Parts: sequence; structure tokens; C-alpha cells
Amino acid sequence: MGGKYEMTVHPNGRNVTVNKTRPIALTAGATGAFALLFAATPALADTHTATLSVLHAIPETPVDVYANGELLIDDFQPGTLAGPLTLPGGEYDLALYPADAEDASGDPLLQAMDVAVPAGANATVAAHLTEAGEPALTPYVNDTSAVPAGEGRLTVRHVAYAPAVDVRAGGEVIIDGLVNPNEESVTVPAGDVSADVVVAGTDTVAIGPADLTVAEGANTIVYAWGSADAGYAFATQTVQAGASAPSGVPGGSAGLAADEGMPAPLVGLTVAGLAAAAFAGRKYATSRV
Amino acid sequence: MRTPAVVLVLGLALGIGTPVTWALTQPDEATGTTVEQAIDASSPSAMAPAPSPTAAPSPSGAVPPSPPALDLPPVTTRDAAPTVAAPVAAPVRLSLPARGVDAPLDPVGVSPDGQMELPEDVDRVGWYRFGPVPGDDGSAVLAGHVDDREQGLGALAPLRSTEVGDVVVVTGANGAETRWQVVSRELITKQVLPLDTIFGRDGPPRLVLVTCGGPFIPELRSYRDNVVVVAEPLP
Repeated sequence: MGGKYEMTVHPNGRNVTVNKTRPIALTAGATGAFALLFAATPALADTHTATLSVLHAIPETPVDVYANGELLIDDFQPGTLAGPLTLPGGEYDLALYPADAEDASGDPLLQAMDVAVPAGANATVAAHLTEAGEPALTPYVNDTSAVPAGEGRLTVRHVAYAPAVDVRAGGEVIIDGLVNPNEESVTVPAGDVSADVVVAGTDTVAIGPADLTVAEGANTIVYAWGSADAGYAFATQTVQAGASAPSGVPGGSAGLAADEGMPAPLVGLTVAGLAAAAFAGRKYATSRV
Repeated sequence: MRTPAVVLVLGLALGIGTPVTWALTQPDEATGTTVEQAIDASSPSAMAPAPSPTAAPSPSGAVPPSPPALDLPPVTTRDAAPTVAAPVAAPVRLSLPARGVDAPLDPVGVSPDGQMELPEDVDRVGWYRFGPVPGDDGSAVLAGHVDDREQGLGALAPLRSTEVGDVVVVTGANGAETRWQVVSRELITKQVLPLDTIFGRDGPPRLVLVTCGGPFIPELRSYRDNVVVVAEPLP
């Protein structure tokens, strides 16, 4: 995986961790082979299956999606998400045909051979336009690693026919200089945010603002998609990530409810009783002599 | 002389009887099953339904279908436009009639230090809003301060003396009550509290009540232990 780096920004004094990754590039080619190389995918309960979603983000082009020559999604509309599908791990040939095509016998609009979908992986394949406006299929690995308690992961993927953008939440830039087809993730306190996308380095709003929920213990994935002609929009997908428990439960500061040793008066009573018994025992013994 | 004999017997009775009686009147460290057992006993693996013999809908005598090149599951598609999650209906009240506990509930999250947030007011109890609503799958956690240096004893102070079988009532946002029965009460040292179990989001519904207890450590202004009570739904 090319350029991966981490950085930390501090909006409102709260730490936000940013992970920036490039997807395993399959861009321009309308035909070609690509493999999803899954780096350190957390093992899921079932190690034989993979989870796959498909996003249609090519404007104004309904398609039929075929996998290994079989119809997988019929009349797939732009702006919709298919799945999640649970598939046996393995390699799949994916092809997109115009939605009015009779079958998969003609020339596909777009195809990708031998897409490796390893068991245990959680992935989304996006059909979208490149920065130059060409249709493309891009596979993304969905990060399902654990997030801290009370927080959620927000991932933004640039799949629009557009140059670099900045992503803002509540008016503050949280991701800057994102280019097609890259993605970037931030970990933020869970809750509702008002998000928009601006042309990088400017205040020119391209998409939004739109309200969306960053779910706790989940990865909320936002796609910026579309074209200048057809318009730009957000598409979203939520993938469960590992939820974390809080680090503890506080609970008291005064000691009023403490379990303590026996109270002093009872200790005194015990000692007095034993002393009296010892004294009497001695006296009893001597009186017998 | 009979006096020394009487004094001997009375003295021994006092000297032994006092500590024994005191010890017997103290609440046990735990009652019922352990907290981990009480929650784990209902974990998905333990409760997994036996595989149904009719699960494979292969009519007897039918020709088995030719092995498909690809056994694709049905695909559902949905509009991917952004959405805002509907607000969750938070529970509003907790009561343990047998222990005199009756307290309002506040939705709470996580403190900056990473611990569960608790209402400042010791008369109120917090519901962990990132976990399930009481009655939904998983472990719904309700916790409160046992005391405060200025406010005195908290609403959950009597938790230390709950017994197996005690009834717990939680009032939901719409006024509907869910009823629960205590199956476990345990004092657990804070450092070994099974947090992932207590805050687990899977498995059948459980109610977990947490406060502080055990010896007080003045230097830390904190208790050594947590009192953890687990309750199961009553039918």
C-alpha cells in the first residue's frame, strides 16, 4: 500500500487521529486484472467467508452487475449501495453491463478479472468516475479495527469526477487535500455531524452540508461522488468496527459505604469479655487448689 | 465459689459471640453465580440454537441441483444518501423496591479519562448510552456514585446488600416497565473488573448495575472494588 501516514490534528482541543491510505489502485483501465491485497485484516468469526459491498457512483448510468458470468445485481441505480454480501473467500470476475442489456454476452462497460476477495475480509468495490472522468472500479478495504469507547471512525473516499477536496465537519476542516480515488479516516466522538466538501484550500462548497451520524464502535464511510454535469452528492455506508468498553467505572469519594473492620465498641466488648473470662478462669482455678 | 465460673462463661460468650455475630451480619462478598458466569452463561455460543434438521430445504427424492459455478446470495440494494440515526429512547427510572432504591436515569457516555461517565448528582444513576437499551440484546449498564464527600450516600448505596431474587424495575421512555431478577452480586477489585463482559453488546438481554464498594482507600479517595449486580429479564 503506497503512501500511508498518520497525523494528529486538534480541533476543539480533542485529539483526532487521521489515517491516510491510498486504495490499491485500479483506476483508469476499463478492462484489467486487479487484486485486493488485504493488509492485516482482523479475523472475523467465520474465517471462510468475506463481506463485500458494491457502491454504484457513476452518474446517470444504471447497470447490471455480473460476477463470474452470473447476474449479481439487476438494474443497479447510481447512488445506491448493494450488500453487504457474504461470499466464500476467493477470486471473482466482475463486469458491469448497461442495465438494458439482455445478458453478459456483449462488451461490458467495465470489468475486472480475478478480483481477490480473501476470507475474513470486509471490502467495498466502488464503480465510479476518476478525476479525469473515466469510469473505474476501485476496491477498498473497510477498516473494522476497534475504536475507543464513545468514538466512531469516519472514512471519506473521493470517487468524484473532481480535483482535490477538503472535508469539513461543523465548518472545520478534518481532512484536507483528498484526491480521487484516495480515502482518509479520522476517529471522532460519536454523534451527529454536519459535513460538507469544499474545493481544496477554498471555501467553495461542492457537496453538502449534510447531516450524518457517526455511529459509536463503527466505521461510517462517506463517498464524495458525481460529476459537474450530473451534480455531486454524498453516499454513505456503515460497517461495524470493534466497539470498546470504557476503562472503568468510578463510583464514590467519601468512604461512607466502605466495608471496614469491626467497629471499635465491638472490639472493646470482645476484649473485655475475653479479659473477664481469663481473670475468672484464673480465679476459678486458684480457688480449686 | 460459683461467681468465677459464671464470669468465665459470660466472658467467653461475650468475647467469642461479639465478633461472630458481627461477621454474620455483614453482607457476603458475593451472592449467586459470579458476574462473568451470569453474563457468559447467556453468551451466543452457549445459547446458540441447535441446528434445525429442516434447515436444508432439500426435498427428499429431488434431484440435487447441479453444482452452481457461484452460489451467490440474494443481493439487497438501498439508497446510499446520508442519514441521521433516529434518537434512541433512553430509559428514565430505576428501582429496586426491596432495597429502597428509586432513582432517575440519565444517559451518559465516556469521560475524558476513558472511564464510564456518571451523573454528578449521587441521587441519579447513569445509563451507558453506547450500549443497549435495557431489554435489547446485550448488557445494559446502569451505574452511579455510591457516595460523595459533600452529598453523602448515593442512590445505589444499597446495591451492596442486594440478594439473589431481588426484583429490579426499569422504566422506559414511553413509561413501559421492564422487570428483572437479580442472579448475581459480586465485589470485584477494580483492576480486574471484566469490562468487556460487563459492557458486552451481544447475547440475550442483561441488566448490569455497578457502583463502588469494598474498603475505602483514603489516599486515593476511592474504593478498592466495584459492586456489580447482574439481573435477568423476568417473564
